[in-house]
Amino acid sequence: MNRLAHKLFWLLPALAIALLAVGQVWLSHLRYETSQASQKLQEEKKSVAADVTQLGLEVASLTRPERLRRIANDKLGMQPPHPMQVVRP
Amino acid sequence: MSKADIFIRRRIETVAGLLALGLSLLAIRAIDLQWLQKDQLTDLAEKQRYRQFEVVAPRGTITDRNGKILAESIEVPSIAAISEEVPSDRIPELAKTLAIQVGELRQKLKERSGFVWLARQITPDQAQAVMALNIPGVRQETEWRRYNPLGPETGHLIGFVGLDGDGLEGLEHSLNAKLAGEPGIRQVSRDARGHSLPGGTWLREPVPGKPVRLSLDATIQSIAYAALAEGIRSQHAKSGSVAIMRPSDGAVLALANWPGYNPNDFRRYKPGEWRNRAITDVFEPGSTLKPFTVAAALMSGRWHPDSRIYCEKGAMQVADHVIHDDHPEGWLDIPNLLAKSSNIGAAKLALDIGPSKLYDLLGEAGFGQRTHIGISGESPGIVPPLERWGPVETANIAFGQGIAVTPLQLATAFSILANGGELVRPHILADEPADEVRQVIPAAITHQILGMLEYATSADGTGSLAVPVGYRIGGKTGTAQKVDKNGEYTKDRFTAVFAGVAPIDHPKIVMVVVVDEPQESIYGGQVAAPIFRKIAENILPYLGVSPQIENDKVWRATPIAADAGQLPASGSLAGLSLREVRRIAADHGLQLTVHGSGWVVRQSPASINPLREGDRVEVWLHD
Repeated sequence: MNRLAHKLFWLLPALAIALLAVGQVWLSHLRYETSQASQKLQEEKKSVAADVTQLGLEVASLTRPERLRRIANDKLGMQPPHPMQVVRP
Repeated sequence: MSKADIFIRRRIETVAGLLALGLSLLAIRAIDLQWLQKDQLTDLAEKQRYRQFEVVAPRGTITDRNGKILAESIEVPSIAAISEEVPSDRIPELAKTLAIQVGELRQKLKERSGFVWLARQITPDQAQAVMALNIPGVRQETEWRRYNPLGPETGHLIGFVGLDGDGLEGLEHSLNAKLAGEPGIRQVSRDARGHSLPGGTWLREPVPGKPVRLSLDATIQSIAYAALAEGIRSQHAKSGSVAIMRPSDGAVLALANWPGYNPNDFRRYKPGEWRNRAITDVFEPGSTLKPFTVAAALMSGRWHPDSRIYCEKGAMQVADHVIHDDHPEGWLDIPNLLAKSSNIGAAKLALDIGPSKLYDLLGEAGFGQRTHIGISGESPGIVPPLERWGPVETANIAFGQGIAVTPLQLATAFSILANGGELVRPHILADEPADEVRQVIPAAITHQILGMLEYATSADGTGSLAVPVGYRIGGKTGTAQKVDKNGEYTKDRFTAVFAGVAPIDHPKIVMVVVVDEPQESIYGGQVAAPIFRKIAENILPYLGVSPQIENDKVWRATPIAADAGQLPASGSLAGLSLREVRRIAADHGLQLTVHGSGWVVRQSPASINPLREGDRVEVWLHD
């Protein structure tokens, strides 16, 4: 009994130290993985924001009055209404 | 002690001595590292453990009053290099991919050691092709590039930014402090492999540029630009400008110039082409200044709308100078003075009231001083100091010569007429708080002048081509000779102008159209007025102002009334319009007193048949 107690006296701390060491390695790995994921998400966020800006610019460019006027006149054969055709502006 | 023992002892002592020496050296090194080099090594360790980088703040967006994007920044790639790391034998293929000369690229790499830009703000495809070469020392960076989706239409107003993100022209320049923001510095800790760890800190937080919303309306700006371009091309003119304001609050709705330039590619144009003529270039306003001469005369109390003035049959001498009218006139009342645009009539008014009254009014109306709209390069215009107003100068300024204004100044001044006599400073920012409003001309007088300006756009006036069908407007034409380098008036170069208010009842817009050096015709009524009409007939429905069929009928009836021009047999003016009554009064030399507006419902005397030239008739009108 004494021998077993004596063995446990040395084994338990050793196990605890080993567990803590493994836990530390695992935490470090987790931290690294989280950091990578966070950076990736940040990049994605930035990329989406850039896409939104670029698409907004494209919308502004495609809907510029001069272009719409040209398409209405040349492609669709439309003309500005005569004053008397404007009922409710 | 044997020899062997002595040898062993010596060896032990030698080893112990070497150990002691080693320990001493270690101690010295420890002292060196821990004390002497402490600060330097700590810095080095911090640098290895932490990484700092600059985070560029995005520039604020510029939008019109409806939120339409006028200028926006997006991230684009640029190519840089650490010059000494780029292998010489890889330079030709790098130059080919960047589409630049090999010699030019070598020069760039030789110019300085360390970081050097090779190609800035290029396309993503081009940057990808360069990075695919995998050349040592070549790296991709990200920069912000400004785009103006409306291009030349808003080029002069918005301006552009340089490669380093600083506004260089237009609103980009004048609002740079607000738009630019401030870059930030972020610090992150790194692991042994150099990867950033979470939980970085801001050493200085970036301050994004603030968005700016303008009072400008992109649709109105585009309509104005297109109509101006068409008008200038048809007249083979040199250039032109249009300024459109909302008189009630001074909001600038459009500020267009032609020829325009594309701010997305501004280097292709000369610096002189970048200027915003609507605020930088001055011109002699010509007859468009006459409403203010008339206003000064009416404010003096010496003149009334029905006062008549003799226009000397087309020529009048003032000191050693002779003033001419294009169309010789005899007696004219004040409305006809404006409608016929008599220089002599305007000069006589100014000479009668004296220069100081006109000078004061012009100053109050904003001539000769910047509007402070907030766009760089604005000109104050030219109004000579009062000491230099002799009779000739007073007479000339009365009909718009010897004074210089910007299109925006003239629009601001016409806003006073449209705004019941109140001066509202023009502004281009939508959210700018309104300035204190100042009464410059009594409201009653501005109403009288608006009536006269409407008459000036009738068939009897010089501005009839400015009237869109179905609308009632008021305005004044102007034709001014240009001054050459020697300060002499040229005989073949003119500025054609039209300044007007629409609709006349409840003015929604004030517009000034200036055409520089038209070739087909020189007159404001034939050059600038049609451009005004083209713009007004498109933007008035857009602004929610319906055309009125009744108005159309009135204008269609105008030639008939003009043809009639006869004194009715009964001598009664009942049922006639004010325009018809004015014509009859002018044709028969009668002085006229008018009450109200609309159609004649009462008159005194009951019949005008017994009246002789110079007698007075009084009429009451009602809608």
